[in-house]
Amino acid sequence: MAATATGSEAAAAAGSSHPATGQSGERGFALLAVAPAALIVFLLLLVPILGALVISFFKTDGVTARFVGLDNYASILTDRLVHAVFLVNLQFLIAVPLVLAVATLCGVLLYEKVLGWRFFRIVFFIPSVLSTAVIGLMFKSTFAYDGPVNSLIVAAGGAPVSFFSTATLGVAVIILALVWSGFGYATLIILAGLSSIDREVFEAAELDGASWWQRLWTITLPQIRRVLMFVSVINVIYTFTSLFGFVFVMTAGGPGYSTTTLDYLIYTKAFSSADMGSGSALAILVFGLIGLLTLLQARVARSKAD
Amino acid sequence: MAAVTSKSGRIPPFVTLLLLAITTLYPLGFVASTSFRHKADYLRAPYRWPESWSLDNYVRLIENYDVGRAFINSALVIGVALAVTLVLATLASYAIVKLDLPFRRVFAGSFLSVMLVPSQVLIIPVYLLLSYFRLVDTLPGVTLVYIATNLPFAVFFMMTVMRSVPDVLIEAAKMDGAGPLRTLIDIVVPILRTSILTLAILVFLAMWNELIFGLILLPSEANNLLTPKMASIGGRFVSNQPILMSGLMLTSLPPIIVLTFLSKYLVSGIAAGLGK
Repeated sequence: MAATATGSEAAAAAGSSHPATGQSGERGFALLAVAPAALIVFLLLLVPILGALVISFFKTDGVTARFVGLDNYASILTDRLVHAVFLVNLQFLIAVPLVLAVATLCGVLLYEKVLGWRFFRIVFFIPSVLSTAVIGLMFKSTFAYDGPVNSLIVAAGGAPVSFFSTATLGVAVIILALVWSGFGYATLIILAGLSSIDREVFEAAELDGASWWQRLWTITLPQIRRVLMFVSVINVIYTFTSLFGFVFVMTAGGPGYSTTTLDYLIYTKAFSSADMGSGSALAILVFGLIGLLTLLQARVARSKAD
Repeated sequence: MAAVTSKSGRIPPFVTLLLLAITTLYPLGFVASTSFRHKADYLRAPYRWPESWSLDNYVRLIENYDVGRAFINSALVIGVALAVTLVLATLASYAIVKLDLPFRRVFAGSFLSVMLVPSQVLIIPVYLLLSYFRLVDTLPGVTLVYIATNLPFAVFFMMTVMRSVPDVLIEAAKMDGAGPLRTLIDIVVPILRTSILTLAILVFLAMWNELIFGLILLPSEANNLLTPKMASIGGRFVSNQPILMSGLMLTSLPPIIVLTFLSKYLVSGIAAGLGK
């Protein structure tokens, strides 16, 4: 943002310094060029966001509406179901260190330019381009009662496990899907971070006789700590915004509410219980939480860099 | 790490990466091969190589579940939405970065401020807005929503790359008497064409994999898009793996084709996106 501001100020200064003949024509064209995008974003994003804020103060099913002030917020913040769902959501944070660990491993190994590293880089990225619905269905059928995992368990002499009818196992399978789908993207970011380190740093350490592990812990990882922080931030945010597809196709939030996440709850609240007001209030609160996380983590990343 | 110097030292990293690659490739290979075999053949030996190959699962999926229609809907909606998003984002970023635009900072700030809004916040008010204009359950309605939700990132991306275009070139075109639109088409767009391709890939993937708006804004069967459709009917096929796998194949094929042929642009875009 700061860069944008200074850049545009400089450009504005440059623009006013030479009053060329076509100046007013250019201004007119510039307004015309930005207008369609601005209009669409205003009507379909800014107005709805303000709309969500307004709706959150009403009790409404979309047809009738009654102003209730902060009641929706109060009832959400005291709702035991919301508390439970929030705790469910926190369980998915286990995926963040897992993604970070796998992606760091992959990034560091790819950086060594072992045979076929370009191929591996693309292969790891495949899950990242697939829909969460596709990945969710793959995991659902893999861990189904008569699916491949259970036939392996049976072949090994065990009894088949009903993965999606227990809370813990359901959450575990979704976490596995989350890690599988996300580590490739994180790997690419970490690899890009590693590539920007000055190679001389490593060469100096090697001359000092530092072992591979010593170099990893004392040089490589500290050098990319901002990148690792960035990867953590986006993955924390994913656990609050991107679980909808997995939950939708794998468990529909069950058994009970044991795999219901905040984003899935907003969906069910808004369109199953005909109470758009409290759905909107919940959406606004989740949005606030995500915004807060983003700011907090950005600050941590900056202070660490200094 | 110019670390592993000896030849033998390179083997453990290679083996680790190979194992990880297998955890990615094996499930995909399983999906692909299963999608071409009969249910009976699959049930006899799920992990053995298929005895016979056929397209029956795909035919059944398309005939009985109108999946072909969903594919065409997706292609239409995303084709239009992607093209409009790219054109509008290019025009807007050009005006913001390179032209003498009044209220420049207001425009730039507005696009950036809505970039991180998650779709859950939008579903209820967007649904109400579209129903007011009678656009719920219409393809133009969801096309508009896809354009709107992808524009902020697209404008941000284009603003970033637009700064790399030398002002000298634009000034020179101006001296030659070219208007701003001519300069954009003849000078700026050719310079930025690989960046625009990268953006096109990122926006395509986002639109193709979108779920919530597709589910909510297009409830009737005839209007379904492919990914939301598979998400809602996929659960029914858990007892018929081969047909489910053919559905997953159809849904993943476009992103995988894009990744296969255009990975260079995608990877460079992601690496560059971090530099911010």
